[in-house]
Amino acid sequence: MNPHPYLRAFLAGAFVPTLVLPLMLTGFIVARLVLQFPFPIERGIVFPMALVPSLWALWNMLWLGSHQRTHLALGTHGALLPLLLLPAGALLASCLGILSAGLSGVTWFHTLYLPYLLIAPCFLAVLAAYYLLWKHIVGFLNRTLGIA
Amino acid sequence: MNAHDEERITQLLKDSLPPISDAGPQRDLWPYLLQRLCAQPTAPPWFDWALAGGLAVFSVALPATIPVLLYYL
Repeated sequence: MNPHPYLRAFLAGAFVPTLVLPLMLTGFIVARLVLQFPFPIERGIVFPMALVPSLWALWNMLWLGSHQRTHLALGTHGALLPLLLLPAGALLASCLGILSAGLSGVTWFHTLYLPYLLIAPCFLAVLAAYYLLWKHIVGFLNRTLGIA
Repeated sequence: MNAHDEERITQLLKDSLPPISDAGPQRDLWPYLLQRLCAQPTAPPWFDWALAGGLAVFSVALPATIPVLLYYL
């Protein structure tokens, strides 16, 4: 008997971004108010606060529903999520005016300049971070909640 | 409903349910549970350590990318 496995998958999936968000908010607020960095935090926070936790939760539910057929490891499944998140995040950031593309690179938050050459390593770093977080933390939560 | 009816219903219920046999486990499960509880958690493989190290080096080498990475968490 395994009541409400998808609800538990949702909660386990939303755990990590929900936990990271206050830390990230603290960092951004310190940077904005204490260090006087000109980050437009109120616009930049929309994506990680509103969309990322829900997407993580839904992605974990998708894994629960599909891994009997796909036999995909949880870490690999999690590492596929940035393929969806990165374009969506970049599109939203561009629409909100916190990402602008130049001739040789992009500028985040009107301050952080990222050359195009660094976008691929950045993408790989996000993939690696997602792989580790999903394999170890979401996997631990899934085992603890009895759905893996 | 009198006592006779109750006995009759009880007997009918007993007759309709199959007898329970071999309901218990085939072997003692407590040692297995104890073994799982006492088992040491397996260490992450070298590949995961290498990835974590690579991420740390990347963040130190390019600190400007940290807010961008956090944006996607």
